[in-house]
Amino acid sequence: MEKNIVVIKNVTFGYDEDKPIIKNISLNIPQGKITAIMGGSGSGKTTLLRLMSGQYTADRGSVSVFDQNVGSLNNREILKLRRNLGMLFQFGALFTDMSVYENVAFSLREHTDLPQEIIDKIVAMKLEAVGLFGTQNMMPQELSGGMARRIALARSIALDPELMLYDEPFTGLDPISLNVSAMLIKKLNDALGQTSVLVTHDIEASLKIVDYIYFMAGGEIVASGTPEEVQKTNNPIVRQFIDGKVSGPFSFEYDTSLDYNTYIGLDSQSGNLS
Amino acid sequence: MKRIYNAIAIIGSPFTTFILHLGRITNLFFQILLSLAYPFKNFSLIIKEIHFSGVRSIVIIAVSGWFVGMVLGLQGYNTLERFGSVSMLGSVVALSLLRELGPVLSAILFASRAGSGMTAEIGLMKATEQIDAMSVMAVDPIKRIIAPKFIGGIIAVPILSLLFNTAGIWGGYFVGVTLLHLDRGTFWSQMQSSVQFHGDVMNGLIKSFIFGIAVTLIAVYQGFIAKPSALGVSLATTNTVVSSALTVLALDFILTALMF
Repeated sequence: MEKNIVVIKNVTFGYDEDKPIIKNISLNIPQGKITAIMGGSGSGKTTLLRLMSGQYTADRGSVSVFDQNVGSLNNREILKLRRNLGMLFQFGALFTDMSVYENVAFSLREHTDLPQEIIDKIVAMKLEAVGLFGTQNMMPQELSGGMARRIALARSIALDPELMLYDEPFTGLDPISLNVSAMLIKKLNDALGQTSVLVTHDIEASLKIVDYIYFMAGGEIVASGTPEEVQKTNNPIVRQFIDGKVSGPFSFEYDTSLDYNTYIGLDSQSGNLS
Repeated sequence: MKRIYNAIAIIGSPFTTFILHLGRITNLFFQILLSLAYPFKNFSLIIKEIHFSGVRSIVIIAVSGWFVGMVLGLQGYNTLERFGSVSMLGSVVALSLLRELGPVLSAILFASRAGSGMTAEIGLMKATEQIDAMSVMAVDPIKRIIAPKFIGGIIAVPILSLLFNTAGIWGGYFVGVTLLHLDRGTFWSQMQSSVQFHGDVMNGLIKSFIFGIAVTLIAVYQGFIAKPSALGVSLATTNTVVSSALTVLALDFILTALMF
């Protein structure tokens, strides 16, 4: 039977209790698979990822990671749980006062007593895995956006975590870097036997590498399925998202109680000068 | 009735905000105390912070101390001359610096030079998700970032205060002896006879140590609560300088009342 690394049950969360960002969501992340959480900007994807990493605590429901209820753990227990977890931030979040080498070696130095020579070798191996061996002495300011993201990936896999969380790994990358990153995620997941959760709104790159997709809109899961099922689906929200249509259930405009015509002094019904 | 409630709320709001910050900063202080073992185990982190906040502040502290000493020398000489007691100039300069001006001004200058830098660094780390990244990598940012800065600050401030005092005394000497031709022996002997090591030098150092705790704590706290935006970091650095100056002056009054 398939084991689930992350189990989310009826989770509701919001910064303000009256405005929940996540609304009664339940989902499972199976071991060894790449699961994508997709949806438009502001749909709650990154918030869901941060609930998994224990950065936020659910207002209602439970988030279990490695069979531990994240909400009931104290600070020390959460830090312990995170040793088996890697997270790639949207813009890398490299430590800007440290070189590439020091960034990748950071968790090795913090959590292990490995001798310097072994750390040197592991750093070289991780950098080679992301195609950036030889950049050890560079500073983050000298790297391009794509390179910084790959160095951050090397840093997050330094301790070979069982669970990898990727927050918008393809944002702002050129098509070549984007495909390289997508293939790298797939390769690392398979080679290291990881479980990966990918938060993204990049359809094309994700469909090539993921095993299962959850679609989010307005803080809820509106559809889910394998890439093949998603591509064939008639769900109007998913279709609008995949086809990039302007009109559809996803509204481009901000939901407000203010009437634009009245606000700028026009007749609210006709839009003519009143 | 609602208007009265609103008025009470508006008047009370700054007090509740103050109490809230006081509670949070106290909480941070205890968290730092519980994390002190880590930076002492990784002593290079403390050295780095002493270099950043202390060594790089040496020039501004020494130059400021020199000028403050010169002003004290000049004003002291003019005032003491009226009473025929210019021989007391050495004592006036030394006691003013050791008891009050050295600890207070060096702490305020430290807050402006190094404290604001600490706040900006932590605030920017927060804005660029570096603190989140560290936390997700199972490393407590309070241990790794805040505690070394705190220790570096409380070591640096008393040393900088001593430097300020030394530069200030030489500034006073320069004006009194070199420019205004006061007898050199009188200047030093009066100072030596009136300054007490425990009562003046040590109490001044204790003041500096307490100011160092206050200023560094305010700096790291402001960085830690800074909103992750350009304006948020800018406001936090301003708050560090303003809050530090006010806290140092208020603490100075309390400590002076207790010590002297």
